[in-house]
Amino acid sequence: MPALDSSAALTQQVEIDLFQGPFDLLLTLLLRDEVDLLELPLADLVEESVTTGTDERWDLDASSQLVLLLAAMADLKGRRMLGEEVEDEPDPDAIAMREALSARLVAYAPFQRAAQWLAERLRAAQGPRYRRVPPGTATPVPVRDDPARLRAAMDKMVEAPPVPSLDHMGVARRPLPELLGRLRESIARLREVSFDSMVVDCDRLEEALTLLAALELVRRGEAELRQDVPFGDILITGVR
Amino acid sequence: MTELARAIEALLFIAPEPLDQPTLMEITDESPAEVNRALDELRERHAEGTGLELAEVAGGWALRTRADLAPICDRLRARPREDRLSPAALETLAVVAYLEPVTRREIGRLRGVDVDSTVTSLLDRGLIEEGDRAQPNGPARYQTTTHFLERFGLARRGDLPTLERFELTGPEAQAIRARLQQAELIAEAETGEP
Repeated sequence: MPALDSSAALTQQVEIDLFQGPFDLLLTLLLRDEVDLLELPLADLVEESVTTGTDERWDLDASSQLVLLLAAMADLKGRRMLGEEVEDEPDPDAIAMREALSARLVAYAPFQRAAQWLAERLRAAQGPRYRRVPPGTATPVPVRDDPARLRAAMDKMVEAPPVPSLDHMGVARRPLPELLGRLRESIARLREVSFDSMVVDCDRLEEALTLLAALELVRRGEAELRQDVPFGDILITGVR
Repeated sequence: MTELARAIEALLFIAPEPLDQPTLMEITDESPAEVNRALDELRERHAEGTGLELAEVAGGWALRTRADLAPICDRLRARPREDRLSPAALETLAVVAYLEPVTRREIGRLRGVDVDSTVTSLLDRGLIEEGDRAQPNGPARYQTTTHFLERFGLARRGDLPTLERFELTGPEAQAIRARLQQAELIAEAETGEP
C-alpha cells in the first residue's frame, strides 16, 4: 500500500487559472492520465467557482458537479488506502447525473479543440502583409467631401423633434369659463334655476364641471345653493 | 496575360481591402465566368516563386505578400499591432463561429462559465456582432464579422473544418464515462442507501 505523500501532491498542483472554466479543466484532466484528479486543490476549485475576481465566473451548476465528483474520488482513494471494501451499487440518480455531466463534456469538447484550431489559424494568418492597411483596420470616413454636408447632417441631429399631438386625449368640450357664463346668464334671466335643468343632455364630465361652476358662483357670492333632499335636485338662486 | 487579368491585377494592387466578385464584375463590366477565368490566370501568375499571392479572404480577393516575407516587410513598415486574444475569447469565438447566430446564454451553457465580459470584449474588437433575433423581444444572438474572417484568414463564413472533426473519438468519450463512473461509484458507496 503506497504511503500518502502530501508534499508530492502539493508540488504537482494544477494551476486552475490556466483553465477556461470547469469543463475545460475536467475534460483536460480526464483525458490526461498522468494527472491525478486528486491532486486538484479542492478548496481552490470551490473558491474559483464562487469568486467574481476572474473575468469569467464559473457556472455554479457545472462547478459544483465538478467539486462533488472530485470529493467523491478523494473519498474513494482514502477508503482504498484504509483497506475498506467499496461497494458497486449503482444509484439511478448518480447515473443520471453522470450521464448529464458526460453529455455536457461531450458537447463542450469540440469547441475546446476548435479554439485551438482558431489559435493556430490566427498565428498562420499573421504572416501575409496587405497593401497600405491590413484589412478590417481601415475605418471608413463618414463624410468625405465638404463641411457643408457634415453641417447638414449635424443640423438634423440637433433639430427639435415635432410636438406630439394630443388630439386623441378627449378634451373638455365646454371649458369652465363658458359654463360659468351660461350659469350667470340663466340666473340673471330666471333668478332661480334647477341644476338638473342645466345639465340636460350633458355627459358626466360636463355635469361635474357645471357643479364646479355653481360652487364657483357661491364662492364669489353671486349665488346660493339649496338642496331639499339628499341626492335631489339643486336649486341655484342668484344673489343680487 | 489577358487584358481582363491585367485590369484585375491592377485593381487588387491598389484596393485597400479585398474586392468581391460582384465588385470586380461591376468595375470591369464583365461576366462572372470571365472574371473567374481572369482570377485563375492571376493565381497561376502569382503561384510559387513570387513575392505576392492571390488570396480569397473575407468574401473577396486580395493581393498580399507571402507569409515567409513578413520579416523583410516589417523592416519597411512596422508590423500592425494586433491585440492578443485570450483562450477564453478564442473558445467563445469558436462557439459563435460554429453555432451562429447564438445567444450569450447558449454560449455560457456550453462553456460552463459566465461569458458576459468576453462577449462584450469580442463585440468591442469587432470580431462578433449582433445578428437577427429569433423573436422581436428575444435575447440578442451573435455572429462573426467580416473582420473575424480577415483576421483568421478565412475565405468566407463557414470556411471552417467540420465540427465533427473536433468531436471526441469513441475511445475518448468512453474513457471519460469510465472515469466519471469510477467517481460516481465512490459517491454512491459514501452516501450509503439509494
